[in-house]
Amino acid sequence: MNTTTALKRALYASVAFGLATGMATAEDYSQYGIKADVPGMCSFEAIDAKDYTGRTLNIITHAIPVIGEPTALHARQFQELTGATVNVVHVPFGDLFQRIMIPFQTGQAAYDVLFYGSLWLGDFNPYLAEVPAAYQEVAGMKEVTETYRGIAGWQGQMLQYTMDGDRHYLKYRSDVFSNPEMQALFREKTGRELTVPATWEDYNEVASVFTNMDWDDDGAPNFGTAEVTKRDDLMFSAFISRVAPYAKHPDVKGGFFFDLETMTPLVNTPGWVHGLELFVAAQAAMPPGGTSFGLGDEIFSFGGGQTLMSYSWDDAFIQAMQEDSPIRNKVAAALLPGAKEVWNRKTGQWDTFDEPNRVAYVTWGWTSAVAKDSANQDMAFDYLCFFANEANTLADLQIGRFGINPYRDTHFDPAFYEMEMGWDAAVAETYTATLKGIDTAPNQVFDLRVPGVGEFMSSLAAGVARAQSGEQSPQEALDGVAAEWTAIVDRIGADRVREAYANVVALEDR
Amino acid sequence: MRTLYLALKYLAVTLWSGFVIFPFLWMLTTSFKTANGVTGGATWLPWLQYQPSLGGWQSLFGGAGGVNIVRPYLNSLVVTLSGSAIALILGTLAAYGLSRFSFRAGPIRNGDITFFFISQRIMPPIVLAIPFFLMLRWLGLLDSLPGLILIYVALLMPIAVWVMVDFFNTIPRGLDEMAWMDGCPPVTTFLRVILPNVMPGLVVAGMFCLIFGWNDFFFAFTLTFTKTQLLPVSIVALNSSVTPWWALSAAAIVSVAPLAVLAFVVERFLSRGGLAGAVR
Amino acid sequence: MPTSWRWKTAERIRPEGQTRPSARPSMPETAMYRQKYIFLLPGLLVLVAVILFPLIFTIRVSFSSWDVYNPGLNNAGGAMYARLWDDSRYWEALWRLSLLSLSTVLIQYVLGFALALLVWRDIAARRFLRVLFLVPMMTTPVVMSVIWRMIFHESLGPLNPILEALGIGAQPWLSQATHAFAAVMIVEIWQWTPFMFLLLLAGLLSLPSEPFLAARVDGAGPVRTFMSVTFPMMGAISVGAILIRAIEASKIMETVYVLTSGGPGTATETVSYYIYIRGMRDFQIGYAAALSLTYLVIMAVALTLIAKALIRLMVREARA
Repeated sequence: MNTTTALKRALYASVAFGLATGMATAEDYSQYGIKADVPGMCSFEAIDAKDYTGRTLNIITHAIPVIGEPTALHARQFQELTGATVNVVHVPFGDLFQRIMIPFQTGQAAYDVLFYGSLWLGDFNPYLAEVPAAYQEVAGMKEVTETYRGIAGWQGQMLQYTMDGDRHYLKYRSDVFSNPEMQALFREKTGRELTVPATWEDYNEVASVFTNMDWDDDGAPNFGTAEVTKRDDLMFSAFISRVAPYAKHPDVKGGFFFDLETMTPLVNTPGWVHGLELFVAAQAAMPPGGTSFGLGDEIFSFGGGQTLMSYSWDDAFIQAMQEDSPIRNKVAAALLPGAKEVWNRKTGQWDTFDEPNRVAYVTWGWTSAVAKDSANQDMAFDYLCFFANEANTLADLQIGRFGINPYRDTHFDPAFYEMEMGWDAAVAETYTATLKGIDTAPNQVFDLRVPGVGEFMSSLAAGVARAQSGEQSPQEALDGVAAEWTAIVDRIGADRVREAYANVVALEDR
Repeated sequence: MRTLYLALKYLAVTLWSGFVIFPFLWMLTTSFKTANGVTGGATWLPWLQYQPSLGGWQSLFGGAGGVNIVRPYLNSLVVTLSGSAIALILGTLAAYGLSRFSFRAGPIRNGDITFFFISQRIMPPIVLAIPFFLMLRWLGLLDSLPGLILIYVALLMPIAVWVMVDFFNTIPRGLDEMAWMDGCPPVTTFLRVILPNVMPGLVVAGMFCLIFGWNDFFFAFTLTFTKTQLLPVSIVALNSSVTPWWALSAAAIVSVAPLAVLAFVVERFLSRGGLAGAVR
Repeated sequence: MPTSWRWKTAERIRPEGQTRPSARPSMPETAMYRQKYIFLLPGLLVLVAVILFPLIFTIRVSFSSWDVYNPGLNNAGGAMYARLWDDSRYWEALWRLSLLSLSTVLIQYVLGFALALLVWRDIAARRFLRVLFLVPMMTTPVVMSVIWRMIFHESLGPLNPILEALGIGAQPWLSQATHAFAAVMIVEIWQWTPFMFLLLLAGLLSLPSEPFLAARVDGAGPVRTFMSVTFPMMGAISVGAILIRAIEASKIMETVYVLTSGGPGTATETVSYYIYIRGMRDFQIGYAAALSLTYLVIMAVALTLIAKALIRLMVREARA
């Protein structure tokens, strides 16, 4: 910990205190669970001043609690403050896409506000309203990092209202990694020092050493790795995390999923195949049932202390850091492992790197938007702006199950997690440093945000599942996926996919 | 021999009862857990193995971390009861017609009409979602109770027809004919003479309608937006990436309650031999 | 409860009039008969009104390529059907579904029959047991599959610890192909055996007592009584129950989605789940319509054939 952080921490505490006392003299909104209202266009005070009596706002969002619970909470608050009637429907992740898409395609203005996965922008963009300039200018939006502002845009327009930041990173049990006994054991078995995995080969090795043994002395066996492996349950994201460093060469521009020029799928190139081989090999170090873990299983497995390492979104880490968690402050975060051998598709050979090639995978990300057909766009944007105002976001960040994760510059301050959430300094440091590192990483990969992304990803997941179960070899499975992807591109039209994919490549190659 | 037989009999009954009860017991104990109670592995006994909490139950009635199921519960009651009632009335009438009269239209005869009714249940719901959606949109009935009731009538009527045709077939035709001779018109005959004889059939058909209606998820899900939420939809709203198992379990227990009462009613009919007519 | 299925097919198999004399209108046409439409038409018209549009619409959609990027009804000719023909995943899923639904329905039938026999007569707490055995059918399948997923959970679920305590050992419920298949079957059996149980118990309770007395006089043991008296008399109702369950079982989707997502690999992918993935997740409306119609035709034919076979097998004996 350095002095600036300590200083900031002190400053943070006094500012928070000052704000709290300062606001007490004006209207008191602390009953809403916030520390202090932050003045601005979407503050509690500003929204309180509006009157939407007699009007109705319809919102579709994810199931409770992730994103769904804060949606409902702020809807209730919005209703109390403005007099509007706010209806919220909660939909499980697997059905959210079709629930939004059916009304869109049949021209039914069913929902004013939508919460969904930002990767669906390629499909939803024709039906979304642009965020008005005034809302793009509010302080809270200005503070959103470049990466997450980038995700919100489509062909130069801002169509999504950023209210969450998501990315994949590595989580591990720092207590085990720093335990001399475990270090000795690892040295004995592998002949090298135990370090936080720098490559996926390392990751698999560490996981296999520490699997099926009771390294936390609680009487139950522990395991090496928890990963999202259940086919239609976001497994594609885990797979891409593992593949990216082998397939996304830092010097090769112009597409990760496709070659942007020819629109040839790259999913069966050697980098991808190698990533899949390692994914399949890792199954040996997964807990019982780990080969069909959904996201929830991964969260409870790592967050509940069963596994040594895991990588996906913030949830598992936050679950581990809950106040009543048995492994609170025994975890740490790091960038995803990288690769020392990277496939260069331009030269058609493997390039060797001394420093592992690290790729930050900015995946999924809950986002929100307002429907173009909505007759209540003014109220809808006020709601979103209120949802994501500084006071609400700081309160939401502290409730793990809400699934709201850092996305503003101000959220990467370790002092916040120490002061407000009581994390150990070291944990807060690795957490914020990791998130910041992803945000500013030179080599980033984004989701395939093109029309038909659901079809591309379900085809990919089906192929990966066949390799995992041993029905096919990794090469065969990915050849099959590539053939399907080619067929999908032909159906949609290569130019349309290219036009959309260019948006993604532009983010990656900026 | 006799003792062995009895022992086997009671063993079988005990095993099956255990199998039936098992998920309910698990739901019951899970409904009092918190996140730590779930991640701590499979535990059954509150206080001894995990610290119980009422959070799951409170969340059903407006507490944090859950969904308020009171309104959806009432909606579900309204839709299921009215949908089942209408389906039962229309289905019973049609079944009586199919049982008593012969219909011909070209090559189509009674059997084909009955088959048409039943065949509606073969269609996978997924494929009906969009046409139903469009249809209700034209009628202006999307996201409304009447719209759902209309769909449920169509979905449940085949069940009612299936059960009732067979019940009517068990009633001797002489009964109708005697009434007609007495100058009683068919509708009155049906209401006064035949219907009282098929009460057990109505109970069975009604039960199936209520079960299938109450538990339908797919149409309640795709044909509503935000205003009209039915119980299964609001319970499934808890199936998040971080599932609140406690709230979900509590909700599942609450949702089965009204139908469990139905099971008692049906059993009474069974025991009184009231369903005898069903199977001749 | 002889079903309409039986009725319909029986009509086709045998010359008219021989099957169920009571079901055939025997009276001459009278004024009364002219009122027959009062009964049939309300229900029939409502059903036709509600079902006809979706059916025609689906047929129309199946000749379009409506999907997420080209919404609307264009004319794609038979392209979707050509694609379907080459879609090995679909045909594999169909085969898997046949296996899954037929085997679960058969097991449900056997178990349901056994349970009905058990609580039919002299047993303690008979009425309580009957209610208990009915209750699983009353639960919401989509919710129960989430609960079952937790029960089968190999790390957190309660099932494996119990199996270990019994000396059977932990099973890879959701991560091995055969086990995952079995897990789906167990859930189906738990939920729907009560359906069989109810129909068969109602059947047993309505049996006349004379044949049983006669069997006892002959000195027949319980096994012979069952084979020669009980089972034959239950033929008709059995066919009905099996067929209705087969229809419902073939639509299995949510259980698969929640428990396994069709995995491991494609080991538990059924047709309905595959259509769901294509139609709702991938949003290929046109293709899903073609898949569904093909499925509808195959199912209608298959069920008719099964019905005929079952009637020959089980019902004729009853009349002999």
